[in-house]
Amino acid sequence: MRRREYLGLVSPSLVVMLGLLVFPLYKTVEWSLQRVNYGEPGTFLGLGNYAEALSDPRLGAAVLFTVGLTAAVVAVLLVGGYVLAVLVDSLGRAKPWVLGILLVSYVIPNVVGATMFSWMFDSNFGGIVNHIVSLFTGTEVLWFTDPWPNRLMVALDTVWFMLPFAMLVILAGLQGVPSEIVEAARIDGATGWRVHWHVIVPSIRGVLGFVAIISIMDVLRTYDQLVALSPQAPQIGNESIMLYIFNVAFQDGGQQLGLGSAVNVLLILLIVVLLSPFIRGIAKEARQS
Amino acid sequence: MSTLDTPAPARAAVPETAADPRPRRSRRRGRTLLVGGILLLVCWAMLSPVLWTAMAVTKPTDVAFLDPPVFTYTPTLQAFVDLWQTTQFYKYLLNTVLVAVVSTVVALVLGIPAAYALSRTPGWVSAALLIAALVFRALPRFAVVLPMYDISRALGIYDTTFAVGAALVAINQPFSIWLLRNFFAEIPKELDEAAMLDGCSRWQTLRRVMVPMMGPGILTAGIFMFLFAFQEYLTANILTDVVARTVPVFIATQLGQTLPMLQQAGAAAILLTLPVVAFAFIAQRYLVAGLGAGSVKG
Repeated sequence: MRRREYLGLVSPSLVVMLGLLVFPLYKTVEWSLQRVNYGEPGTFLGLGNYAEALSDPRLGAAVLFTVGLTAAVVAVLLVGGYVLAVLVDSLGRAKPWVLGILLVSYVIPNVVGATMFSWMFDSNFGGIVNHIVSLFTGTEVLWFTDPWPNRLMVALDTVWFMLPFAMLVILAGLQGVPSEIVEAARIDGATGWRVHWHVIVPSIRGVLGFVAIISIMDVLRTYDQLVALSPQAPQIGNESIMLYIFNVAFQDGGQQLGLGSAVNVLLILLIVVLLSPFIRGIAKEARQS
Repeated sequence: MSTLDTPAPARAAVPETAADPRPRRSRRRGRTLLVGGILLLVCWAMLSPVLWTAMAVTKPTDVAFLDPPVFTYTPTLQAFVDLWQTTQFYKYLLNTVLVAVVSTVVALVLGIPAAYALSRTPGWVSAALLIAALVFRALPRFAVVLPMYDISRALGIYDTTFAVGAALVAINQPFSIWLLRNFFAEIPKELDEAAMLDGCSRWQTLRRVMVPMMGPGILTAGIFMFLFAFQEYLTANILTDVVARTVPVFIATQLGQTLPMLQQAGAAAILLTLPVVAFAFIAQRYLVAGLGAGSVKG
């Protein structure tokens, strides 16, 4: 392809991304070095915002909460997604129906799904889960104000709307496993979970890695569901990193826009590090061709 | 639903050993029943928030959120009527659909040529662009949306559907390019060469040969763009106030208010859910294909 054609095809998209992604991103980096407010020019501060961010115990708590949530949710997604994919894969005529039902939580907007989810739990909304729990244990669980029950509810909701994605990607991976190697393992006497653990799982390693990395990045950016599920998140230590950014940089006029921007930049750096295996893969492909 | 209760027969019949076929067959049958049972439970659990909300919004308001919950009641659609009459739900719904449709179309018009060029030209420039697209796809939203808020105020387009639509076009552009590039990569290059030998220019090749062949791929990308725009809460929340508000933002603002308002939020949630559930069934093939293409080759 000639250079002029290439530019002609790529540039409309590129112009939009430069104007609406790269330029705002540049603003964020600039703000992170300033004391600044919306609509006003800021004053240069150097790395002051970064120092403040790194020494803020509230951000520390937010990081801990976010990382813990990510670890728990991603582990459940990988195991649950795999088991579910294997079960769905064995279906015949019922498969489209089951897939359709499982996709429901994936297509509902997160904030709306989280709202529905919260109504199942808290006694303020006559939650069915709460009702059952108190029937059996005789204690009233405070799903919104008690840190750990709240964490459990947030984690369950996150698994609820992310499981379909994990299941579908793994299902696509399972379809690529050559049936000969499974047959061969069976003939060699491997049964049940051994076939899965020693044969199928290793052969879809790449797919599982993909699910893990995408899920990690998505859960690290948790925000929407907390709006509905954890109205008192800062008080009970269930603030995510993104919610922290929102609270310091936007809520109440955004007095600490510089601080919020610095956290944004730090989060971007973390994500780039997490993505580095994929980036290296693309670079390698380019070098080979 | 009844198809769920009757587990389908195994796809490929494994040759039974002639000596002792009976226990094996019954074991297989037990297994399929077990699988069916587990999946039935999972489906029920996954649907339960929606079903529970559907119950809450069809109860009379005074018992809707009672604790312990009531299970017998006379169903009423009053919450939906109130939603329609006392809030501007139809306007928010219109905003949401408008933003989703327009941003999907624009994202595709911009993304298709770019993805085509990237899939046909290996090399450093394309690799750099793909890496940039990957990083931008994973960006924390606030890193671009907070500056967008500042810019939209400065330009006087804050709280317009235009601003939200433009933001979503840009935010979804990286994903759309990746997905489309993967679909384009499956079309053999010889086809372009043949078309160009016959006298087509690049643009004509793209328009007359590639796009028609890419039909399902473009549809898949479009479905994802639409879904993402439709679901978006964070961007719409930052860039809108009252005029351009979308349904997810509306539902979030109703929380923590009075019980009737809460029930209206539930009604809005159900009204929003029904079409997307229908969508999940109709567009299932494309959703599955898109997730497959985005992963296995991406």
